[in-house]
Amino acid sequence: MTSTHTNSHTEAAKMEQVITEFFYKSLLIILESRSSYVSSRNYSGEQTVSSPSSSSSSSSSVRPRDKWFNLALRECPSALENLDLCRRSNFEPVVVDVILEQKPLDWGPASFSPTSDLVRNLSSKNKNSYFWNSDQQDESGSEMKCEKIIERWFVQNESRKGRDCNSGNRRSSCNNLSALYKKLILMLRSLYVTVRLLPAYNIFRDLNSSGLICSFKLVPRVSSFVEPLTRKEEVDMQRFWFTPVDTSCGRLCLSVLYHSSISDMSSESSTPMSPQFIPDYVGSPLADPLRRFPSLPVSHGSPSSLPFSRRHSWSYDHYKASPPLVSFSPSPTHSESNALVSNPSSLGLPPMSLPPHPPETSLAHKRNTNFDEYCPSPNFSASPSPSPSPSLPIYIPWTHLSKALLRSESAPVNIAAPKLANTPALSGKQNLPPCPPLKITRAGTSRTDNIRVPAETDATIEKIFSFGKEDCWKYSGVKAFSNSSPRISCSRSSSRSLQDDFDYSEFPCPFDVEDGEMMDPGSRKSQDAAVGALVRLLKKAPPLRQNVSLNFSEASRPEILSNSIPKQSQILEAVTVEYAAAPNIASFRLVASKTTTDALEELRGYKVMKNLLLSEGGKAYTSNVASAAEHSSTSKDRSIL
Amino acid sequence: MNCEVCQLKELEVEHFEIREVLRCILHTIVFHRALGLVRPKDVDLELFEITYVQCGDVELEKKIDEKIDHFISWVEKHPNKKSQICLSFYEVKSKQPSWFTNKTERLYWEQWYINLNVTQHPKHHSSKSHHTKLVVDPGESATEERSSRRAMVEASLREVLFQIIKFVNEKKDHVPPISEGVIYFPYEITIPSSSDSAFGMDMIKRMLHSGHPTMLS
Repeated sequence: MTSTHTNSHTEAAKMEQVITEFFYKSLLIILESRSSYVSSRNYSGEQTVSSPSSSSSSSSSVRPRDKWFNLALRECPSALENLDLCRRSNFEPVVVDVILEQKPLDWGPASFSPTSDLVRNLSSKNKNSYFWNSDQQDESGSEMKCEKIIERWFVQNESRKGRDCNSGNRRSSCNNLSALYKKLILMLRSLYVTVRLLPAYNIFRDLNSSGLICSFKLVPRVSSFVEPLTRKEEVDMQRFWFTPVDTSCGRLCLSVLYHSSISDMSSESSTPMSPQFIPDYVGSPLADPLRRFPSLPVSHGSPSSLPFSRRHSWSYDHYKASPPLVSFSPSPTHSESNALVSNPSSLGLPPMSLPPHPPETSLAHKRNTNFDEYCPSPNFSASPSPSPSPSLPIYIPWTHLSKALLRSESAPVNIAAPKLANTPALSGKQNLPPCPPLKITRAGTSRTDNIRVPAETDATIEKIFSFGKEDCWKYSGVKAFSNSSPRISCSRSSSRSLQDDFDYSEFPCPFDVEDGEMMDPGSRKSQDAAVGALVRLLKKAPPLRQNVSLNFSEASRPEILSNSIPKQSQILEAVTVEYAAAPNIASFRLVASKTTTDALEELRGYKVMKNLLLSEGGKAYTSNVASAAEHSSTSKDRSIL
Repeated sequence: MNCEVCQLKELEVEHFEIREVLRCILHTIVFHRALGLVRPKDVDLELFEITYVQCGDVELEKKIDEKIDHFISWVEKHPNKKSQICLSFYEVKSKQPSWFTNKTERLYWEQWYINLNVTQHPKHHSSKSHHTKLVVDPGESATEERSSRRAMVEASLREVLFQIIKFVNEKKDHVPPISEGVIYFPYEITIPSSSDSAFGMDMIKRMLHSGHPTMLS
């Protein structure tokens, strides 16, 4: 008698334990497929559990709790927390509500401020309240978010009244227990498959897989007592029953109410904002039309003289895209990162630190890199771009973002001339104003090929760059254009004046951009403006004498054709010939043969020569005149002979 | 012991969908019959928004894939034909050897019939590739038609999976007791053979082994 009583007590205890573990396992299956961060999804544990031969060796990798119902799942903290609930609720239903929680955010321009919900949510302590516990309330106000119960799971043990649960002999009890255990295994297998077929699982999977910020999340809530759903709510839901399993004391029931059209809800909630045009985005001309680059000194002329004080339009496009990144991405592929950031402590995970700089900086860095391809200017790069952000573009406080955007402005373009780097004038490259994205290196490297008229070498170019910082860009732009335009030819007509040489109607435009050149419209306009200013300047200059221009052009043609850098003596010789023809020093003007840049070089060279002549006091002139006279007489004698 | 038979709803699939559909259905059934200690593995279908569960056994996965390959080969030889795949679970019983039978006997206690109607899309480029998953159709109407068709197939597949779940839930008594160390019950996947007569011979063989007529309703 005593043994029978003991056996039945043992059996009852076992039954109770089986039922309790069934509750726990069912909760675990539901919660781990509806909770954002805890999932058995492809839990890469030991796969050897499936091999019968290695079952003994693999048992060590399987936790004791995994062996219940032969279903090894990852531990779920919420299920553990609610285990007591399961134990107490052996005869009370356990209800799991899966709530789709959406936080509406106003992303209008007026409301996009540092004090927006982004910052508030990050700092709020109560955002982690309801994720695992149903008791705490969100102090930020329920009006800030929308909640909708998309699933309601019922797990209960319906007791059978008026029946002795411990009746029956030992053998039947054993059989009952093993049969019960087998049936519960089957039921839990079905439950595991079913939770993945319901629509809410797609949301869970998207939240888990995607790294994007989302405006909604799944919140499972476990409780014993819940308010019944309203009729309206229940109408839209469907119910699925699992076949109850009879126990000795009752029967275990499992059912679910679920929304079948949840995908529509999630897609609607994933697009909380209608597309809005933000006119005053960071970097827009409206916001700050004359924003100076931080590396530019203030003394370099007025901002109006700098053609590129305004960032290029293409650089704006990058920052134009930034607000949507900062705002919650309106896509269904939302991630738990939002939940993680907003509720870091509630999820039991170490708080995810915000990236030091927003991801836009990495893009800005990339932009600057691309810019540098056009204008290699190592000394004039952008302010050092911060470290790249993590792969997850998650929560970014507006304050951080604005600072980062200001930091990561595109660099002003330098007039890069590596060949000219030896010149002292170019030592302070960071002081140079920006220039359009031209391949300036060509100007330096192919200088010997493209100079059409006798021009000075480094000294000349040095003079060019030393004219004045505010004027540098004009000349450099012209120079670049000239080098890239081989169509410019020398002035051949004696009747042409300097002004005529710059008549665009006759010459092929020296500033034509060839097909291969890559230039954005903004820089081209600025270059044109610079060239136009230079042209106007040259037009104001008094015209050269016809004979002077003719002689000079003829004399200089061999040098042009040979593409050789004329030496100083050659220049002297040419100048001397002209001087002999026109003693007036003032009339010595170098004819701008093909381009104004070359003309300027010649002018500069003339100035150098003039200084030399003056310094020597006509000494060299006298000797050259004498030698020239001898030469001419010799040639006459030969011709006579 | 009764042999429970479940005739699943017929699915109309295209050639490139066969592999995914069969994997989904076969693994779902086997998972319900893998009552040993398993660590389930979730698999997302690429063509449909469905996640099915495998019991995580590599050998099982390999065997199922082999059978699917054989079936696809058969379909390529017999296009536009309705086909049936039979997944049977049995118990091995020792029997006294006789003139016609072996020492062991297979007692089939459950059979699942997967009915497929493999159709060829009119604008499908190639039906021979096993891995063709995308059909390039010009025009928006063709795209819309394809997407609607894909949605229908997905809905039908989901229905089939729920059919499996309901069957498993409703009928539990015929399932044999779980043996120690056994992960899943012995099973057999039967696909149509090259000829119908051979397929019939397979059925006869099964009858001889099982000792009772097989229901083919």
